[in-house]
Amino acid sequence: MPCQQHKEALIEAAANGAELQGDLRAHLAGCTDCRATFEEERSLFASIDAGLHVAANAEVPASLLPRVRTRLEQGAAPRRIGATSWLVLASAAVLFVVFLAARALWRPNAVRQPVEMSAKVPPPEHVTAPSEKQAAESPLGKDDVSNHQLVISKHHAALVAAKTTPDVLVLDDQEILLAEYAEQWSLHKHPLLLAQQFDATILSPLQVEPIQIDELGVKPLAEEKLQ
Amino acid sequence: MQELVLDQPGRTVGEELEHGAAQAETRREFEERLVECGPLAYRVARGVLRNTADAEDVAQEALLRAYRQFDRLRDRTRFRAWLVRIAFRLALDRLRSGKRRELRDTLWSQPEYHPPAANAEDIAASNEFQAHLDNALAELPGKLRLVLLLAAMKGHTIDEIAGMLGLSTGTVKSRIFYARRKLAEKLRCHANNIKRR
Repeated sequence: MPCQQHKEALIEAAANGAELQGDLRAHLAGCTDCRATFEEERSLFASIDAGLHVAANAEVPASLLPRVRTRLEQGAAPRRIGATSWLVLASAAVLFVVFLAARALWRPNAVRQPVEMSAKVPPPEHVTAPSEKQAAESPLGKDDVSNHQLVISKHHAALVAAKTTPDVLVLDDQEILLAEYAEQWSLHKHPLLLAQQFDATILSPLQVEPIQIDELGVKPLAEEKLQ
Repeated sequence: MQELVLDQPGRTVGEELEHGAAQAETRREFEERLVECGPLAYRVARGVLRNTADAEDVAQEALLRAYRQFDRLRDRTRFRAWLVRIAFRLALDRLRSGKRRELRDTLWSQPEYHPPAANAEDIAASNEFQAHLDNALAELPGKLRLVLLLAAMKGHTIDEIAGMLGLSTGTVKSRIFYARRKLAEKLRCHANNIKRR
């Protein structure tokens, strides 16, 4: 075992390959263990250097350069960013901008569409589902549920129909009749009643009779007790 | 009489000739560097991969990549350093892929890659030590490994390595010192075991 106080200095000296000097040299002259350790370390670093030399200076295969030249001949031309490349890049950039613009325009339409549709489609006649209790109490509970589903499906069908322009097939002699009917229907069509446009004067005030309350007879408690 | 003129799409004849001449000049310039630096690319790759076939593939790929981007290299005196970095990076990528690990291990133990030894025991000991060194080298961080490999190659001074890697000579020296110390720590017990036999 080497002396602990000299161990690090011995390893460093062996790694550097330098000659020992001063106190360390004097110590090694008298300490067999430290001298042996120093020799081992020098041998170890010499082996490492020899191994590295072998690993780093391998013989280059004779086929390397001919293979590279062959590949170069096959057309591994240097890449130049020429006018064509710039055109391709510019086209790609323009396409990207167009795509972004199209996406930006598409989104508001998608939001507006249901509002417009809701104005066109008449509200369903009955949309509230009966509670489970009501359905159980009524002998026709199941029918009510099925009716409710029917109403919803009608409403859904109306929504779907409103999305597309309806095509009506009629006989030749009925075209005029249909046109007249459509005109009259559009004349009778009322605009939506909005809260802001509501005129309160068109409604007559509500007539409510005053409540009849009989007069109360109040007697003092003391008199009641005396009686 | 109307004269017919053939419009050639893309480059004109003059531009085509100019382009051809520029390409030939690039090729000639690259050819000089190929002879000078090709072996370096191979050795760097082999130092990392420790396999002849893989190292040759990587060196070839590094040289082709360097040629394709040769026009982008404005300072041609930096070609050597540039190629070393490309080869080293490609070799590390190949090493990480690990596809040919088994083959590499087999080829690495071939005696043709080791210095001649006095007898069969020495050869065995040398091969065993070399295998341990190989593993220890693979465990070193990349920046230490590259500096150590370049320092171990013939004809590379510390100043050249520093210039090649864009480091100060002090940094190169400290990296070499630190890398050797690391290797020694890993190999000390193996070296003692081999000696005791």
